[in-house]
Amino acid sequence: MEAVKFDNVYFSYDREERQGEQGDVFDLGGSYALRGINLTVQEGEFVAVLGHNGSGKSTLARLVNGLLTPDSGSVSVFGETATDDKKLFEIRKQVGIVFQNPDNQTVASIVEDDIAFGPENVGIPREEIGERIAFALNAVGMNEFRHATPSRLSGGQKQRIAIAGVLALRPRVMILDEATAMLDPRGRKEVMDVVLKLNKEERITVILITHFPEEALLADRAVVLHRGEIVLEGAPETVFEKGEELKKYSLVMPRPVRICRALTEGGVSVADSMDAEAIAKQIKERTAVLDVKNTETTHPCTSSLGVMPTYTGEDIGRVFCQNLSYVYNAKTAFATTALSGVDLEIYPGDFFGIIGHTGSGKSTFVQHLNALLKVPSAEKKYKPKKPKKGKPLPPKIVLKVNGYDLTDKTTDFLALRSKVGMVFQYPEYQLFAETVFDDVAFGYRNFNAKPSEAEVAEAVKAALETVGLNYEEIKNRSPFELSGGQRRRVAIAGVIVTKPEILVLDEPAAGLDPLGKEEIMSLLHKIHADWCKTVIIVSHDMDEIAENCNRAAIFAEGSVLSVDTPSALFKAADALSAKGLDVPFTAKITRALAKLGLKIENDFTETDFINQVLAYAKMAGAGTRLTGGADNA
Amino acid sequence: MRDVAFGQYYPSNSFVHKCDPRAKILFLIVYIVAVFLCKNFYALGACAALFILIACVSNVPFSSLLRSVKAVLFLLLFMAVLNLFLYDGQTVLWSWKFITITKEAIYYTIFLAVRLFLLVLGSSLLTLTTTPVSLADGIESLLSPLKLIRFPVHELALIMSIALRFIPILTEETGRIMNAQKARGADFETGGLIKRVKAIIPTLIPLLISAFRRADELGDAMDARCYSGSKVRTKYKKLTFTWRDLLALLFGVALLTGVILLRVYTQALI
Repeated sequence: MEAVKFDNVYFSYDREERQGEQGDVFDLGGSYALRGINLTVQEGEFVAVLGHNGSGKSTLARLVNGLLTPDSGSVSVFGETATDDKKLFEIRKQVGIVFQNPDNQTVASIVEDDIAFGPENVGIPREEIGERIAFALNAVGMNEFRHATPSRLSGGQKQRIAIAGVLALRPRVMILDEATAMLDPRGRKEVMDVVLKLNKEERITVILITHFPEEALLADRAVVLHRGEIVLEGAPETVFEKGEELKKYSLVMPRPVRICRALTEGGVSVADSMDAEAIAKQIKERTAVLDVKNTETTHPCTSSLGVMPTYTGEDIGRVFCQNLSYVYNAKTAFATTALSGVDLEIYPGDFFGIIGHTGSGKSTFVQHLNALLKVPSAEKKYKPKKPKKGKPLPPKIVLKVNGYDLTDKTTDFLALRSKVGMVFQYPEYQLFAETVFDDVAFGYRNFNAKPSEAEVAEAVKAALETVGLNYEEIKNRSPFELSGGQRRRVAIAGVIVTKPEILVLDEPAAGLDPLGKEEIMSLLHKIHADWCKTVIIVSHDMDEIAENCNRAAIFAEGSVLSVDTPSALFKAADALSAKGLDVPFTAKITRALAKLGLKIENDFTETDFINQVLAYAKMAGAGTRLTGGADNA
Repeated sequence: MRDVAFGQYYPSNSFVHKCDPRAKILFLIVYIVAVFLCKNFYALGACAALFILIACVSNVPFSSLLRSVKAVLFLLLFMAVLNLFLYDGQTVLWSWKFITITKEAIYYTIFLAVRLFLLVLGSSLLTLTTTPVSLADGIESLLSPLKLIRFPVHELALIMSIALRFIPILTEETGRIMNAQKARGADFETGGLIKRVKAIIPTLIPLLISAFRRADELGDAMDARCYSGSKVRTKYKKLTFTWRDLLALLFGVALLTGVILLRVYTQALI
């Protein structure tokens, strides 16, 4: 049975304005969010809708359950069209939507009350609501959280509660509108597992709107939207075959598929797979034509990454930290230790990565770097304590950033902040000024005493151009009329305008689509090359760290687990997995290969991994016995 | 900002937690009236005793209760100092130029302070033992006679519940925005009043914009979950009046009677 059917649907957001004008509505094709959509989703099907930001994919979701109505054409759900309020109500019972931000779709402060909201609205009797809550919580695996408070749950848990809230209405179709975009990899997996289960076990039709290609591969069918039109459609595997075409629509292939394709192109033919072990097995089969005996491989690290800068005694751009501990709400019932004895050194010139789960202390640590959080001895009121008898003093905290001593209360913290820039998560939501110019100038005017207008303009111009924006074009516009990506760039410009030596960014790529991520990362490399000496990024995306950082630290439970080059860190993949941390996909394949007896040395960037595998294959193929691992010695 | 215990619910399964919110609200009203009718320390002592009894039964840790007092500490001190110097008494204990402190003033100040403490503690005990949702339900139910005069009781209750739900989210967001501004050299700590108010504006704008964005998204999410006002709506949590609530109200009435009797038969402090 047809669950959802789009029949030649056109939709535009400025319909009201346009209706006042004369002429055919179809003239203004440019302003349409959707143009002539024909799409049928069968009952029980799992369809992924892909598209970059602004492709119209969220509009599609809102049309299905009548949050929006089409300008022309029709959208029907199980044969019914929302022609009046009564039918609309019926359709909304059938179609549930889970939105992007879990915080903004919860109405109540207790989980069960929130889940009850939907059933209450449609007039379900009390006793049955109780059963439905139990069913919904069970389906998302959150039984024990029935009486919990949503604001204290993790992102993935919150989103599962949102799914449960929709499930309690017993919908036959579920739409996920970028429901995983704001989650960390762990939360994303939690949500996708639930969605798959609902589709397979409860036979709920799923429409998954996403910009993560990995998620689309789980679907039965993928639909690619571009500028309001369906441009590609088919099994996800075949859709991702069209690499070049995808690029045209600002989409990328999933990383595993990209790796398989690159290997195939290089002569080691590997069929597409999302599974690291399956890929490793294929590589082994393709290359193990020879009975190789050597277990040691020596592929020198060729990439420019993974190089340790040597410390030259220079303080600019350096972070030196010893014994740093921090307790939130100290001396109250709510005291929580965020940091316990962190030792870490970040060298001038590092592109440094800080990895860890939510709650590992990484955000607390970086907030110390520009004294947003201060060690006790830097507080104004601090008086040194006399040591008590029999009680040893806590180890002395050392925290030096860019030459400033952050344990001394006489340090000029304002000057420090101008030299240590900090970009917070989703910085675009922190813009406030009337024009882009004023917003970027804010920091410059705060840090410099009475700068002349010419100086301000020069600094703002340089900052905006560094982040890749056209100064003349953008300076007088309101930050609120820019696109999301532009706004993030403006926010970064607002921080680098004071020419900081150290730039700290908390999840700089959060919420962006894959192409947007790549753009932001290459922007950061540019800033690193000719603007800030040291760049520190906080991230939970291991691939991001492997691809971009020369050194990284892993935070766990408030202390530093290890500090090294990414390739050395990820070599201990098993240890990381034991801590519940993810590893880059290339590290997963490398580990699986090692288990199969094939040791490939690489630094876990995608390019280096492919190069090393191909180099190895070449040697194996050429009949030399120089390298390789053998499982039958 | 985060130190203000905004009646954050303290989960437990105590007698007080299990009481009907309506009973608790009515009890609180009776209790407040009783505290206001107190004329001397005997009556106040009776109120305090009952409060301590309830607080012990409720399982709420003392530290949580005290945090709510912290929020009004400044007001309390201000009031105390004012009373101490301005209250007219007979027994002068100490005097210097135009300042005199009398024995009566000291008693009266302590009396007022205890009274205010009891009021604040009582109300925060209600919010600590009652989830915002059931509090809103209780208010809705108590106000429901107003439906007859077409007062939008259900809508009001929903607004309250959502407002309570978003307080922790917006508090967190405020902290984040302020930190971002501080990192860009904003100074919230020094300077006069005007300078500080000016410094806050850049944080208010993004906060306001984000609140509107959230409201918009919440509206969509509510629509998608079939929200359509109160026509066919049922309620999952049905409020039921039990022996517990009767007992609670009896305690309340007993307290009120006691205080009134004390008012009639004992000497007033003032």
